Amino acid sequence: MSKLGVFDIAVRYGKVPAVNDLTLHVDEGERVFVSGPNGAGKSSLLKAISGAAATSHGRIELDGDLLTGRPPEAIARLGISMVPEGRDIFGSLTVEENLRVGTGLRRDAEAVEEDIAEIYANFPILGERRAAAAGALSGGQQQMLAIGRALMTNPKLIMVDEPSLGLAPKIVDQVYDTLCTLQEDRGLTLLIVEQSSLRAARVGGRMVLMRGGRIVGEGNAADMVDRDALAAAYFGQSPEKTETAT
Amino acid sequence: MSNLAQLFFDAASLGGLYAMAALGIALIFGVMKLVNFAHGEYIAFCVFALIVPSTDAVAVMFLGKAPALILIPVILGLGAAIAVASEYVVFRHLRKADPVAMMIASFALGFVIRNALLATYGGRPKAVSLWPGLNTPVDIAGASVPLLQLIVILSTLLVVTGLALLLKKSRIGLEMRAAAENFTMARLLGVRANRVITGAFALSGALAAAVALIMVTQTGVADVRMGGQIMLVAFIATVLGGLGSLPGAVAAGFLVGIVSVVLQAWLPLEARPFRDAFLYTLVIVCLLVRPQGLFVPASAKPRV
Ligand SMILES: Nc1ncnc2c1ncn2[C@@H]1O[C@H](COP(=O)(O)OP(=O)(O)O)[C@@H](O)[C@H]1O
Ligand SMILES: [Mg+2]
Repeated sequence: MSKLGVFDIAVRYGKVPAVNDLTLHVDEGERVFVSGPNGAGKSSLLKAISGAAATSHGRIELDGDLLTGRPPEAIARLGISMVPEGRDIFGSLTVEENLRVGTGLRRDAEAVEEDIAEIYANFPILGERRAAAAGALSGGQQQMLAIGRALMTNPKLIMVDEPSLGLAPKIVDQVYDTLCTLQEDRGLTLLIVEQSSLRAARVGGRMVLMRGGRIVGEGNAADMVDRDALAAAYFGQSPEKTETAT
Repeated sequence: MSNLAQLFFDAASLGGLYAMAALGIALIFGVMKLVNFAHGEYIAFCVFALIVPSTDAVAVMFLGKAPALILIPVILGLGAAIAVASEYVVFRHLRKADPVAMMIASFALGFVIRNALLATYGGRPKAVSLWPGLNTPVDIAGASVPLLQLIVILSTLLVVTGLALLLKKSRIGLEMRAAAENFTMARLLGVRANRVITGAFALSGALAAAVALIMVTQTGVADVRMGGQIMLVAFIATVLGGLGSLPGAVAAGFLVGIVSVVLQAWLPLEARPFRDAFLYTLVIVCLLVRPQGLFVPASAKPRV
């Protein structure tokens, strides 16, 4: 029983193909990492699922509902939330307003307030600065806010695009701790783009390796780290160097 | 002293009118990155809605006969309706198009509305007397001020605070501000694009109607061209304020109004016919010094 199903999709920008013949299944409650070099099409894949980019071929389903062709706001209603690359915080809105943007699709007003209280409990700094402009937060705080904001739509599946981008390793640890705790508490499904396979291996989960718009490898993140397929994806055919950065 | 007070009321009421017109443009630009050049024609449309359609030289009041309590909401609603309808008929289909294509479509739409008005009402300006009582002067601080000027200043304050409250406190206001900053991100969070855009057009059209009511009462004339003139000033004010910035549009609208009243009063008599040339020279200087707009913090990233 697959929760998210991506069937043979293609994404192109004008004539430039970004994703090709891509098929992927993500089970309910699963944690899946998408890794691969820059330009592999990882962000495009997430954008296609969220409706931010159109697919030129194939179909995408969530729990049997067809997502293909629906606008992003309709896909959000079906339970998919996104933390985009670069986070895209609303800098001119306050911290709390950022959290509330995504609550328009909910009818459970009380649960909304509880969720906000819970986010403030988990990230006290966000609570302290709830009335401050979100643009003034540090990168790490913005990442936490973006994750909190994604939670506020009450999603089943959260997609996070490169959460470690531009953050100190310590903060990245914190971000992943948060994501994993949330996943356990809420039974979320996570689809995470993470360039560092070491990081993915440490957090644990399934890993999908992309290159040139296609999936070129797939397996347990821990097993994948030192596999030839990975090195090949990053460095062409010669696997002598291995990725070590976190 | 009395001269200064007079100047103050002139400047505040003209500035308020410009501010409202500029707000109407900035609202749409904020959410859609569209400079809606049909905005002036929404204003003209609302003015002509007051009189009976005919090409006769003498205007016969139509909606204009209704008592203010009915007339005002009806005209505001009409303004909102024509703006929303134009979004539905024209702009909705161009959302994914180039901003330039949308802008040209707005020119074309304005042209269509203007010519429809010309065909229905004829080209000659008509005398329209809406609420003539409002032009009776009242004495304040030694200045003799038409009641209308006070009403204009008051209603500007009312409209601006009302709009600020709506944007700050209401659900649709929050969605509009989020969408103005990053439309895709807002949609990814479930914000309905259609709802936000329709809301922005409705507000913008209602603002056009408010401007129409003020202009027609002030000038006593219904003229197809009146929308175009104020649209130009309002557009300049929105650019000056920083395209898409609502507080910037209000501030720049007031500034343009104040400067043109001051120039009118203080320029040597021979130079007064060229007041607008002086005004626009100042505008160009402002834009050369601060191309991002006067009232946008220098640190803000460019919106266009
Ligand atoms: N908005 C866009 N317009 C045109 N080309 C794009 C756009 N976004 C991405 N691309 C191209 O699509 C390919 C995949 O990009 P992307 O999905 O961002 O990869 P990744 O996230 O793996 O780095 C790249 O070749 C990139 O240059
Ligand atoms: Mg990317």
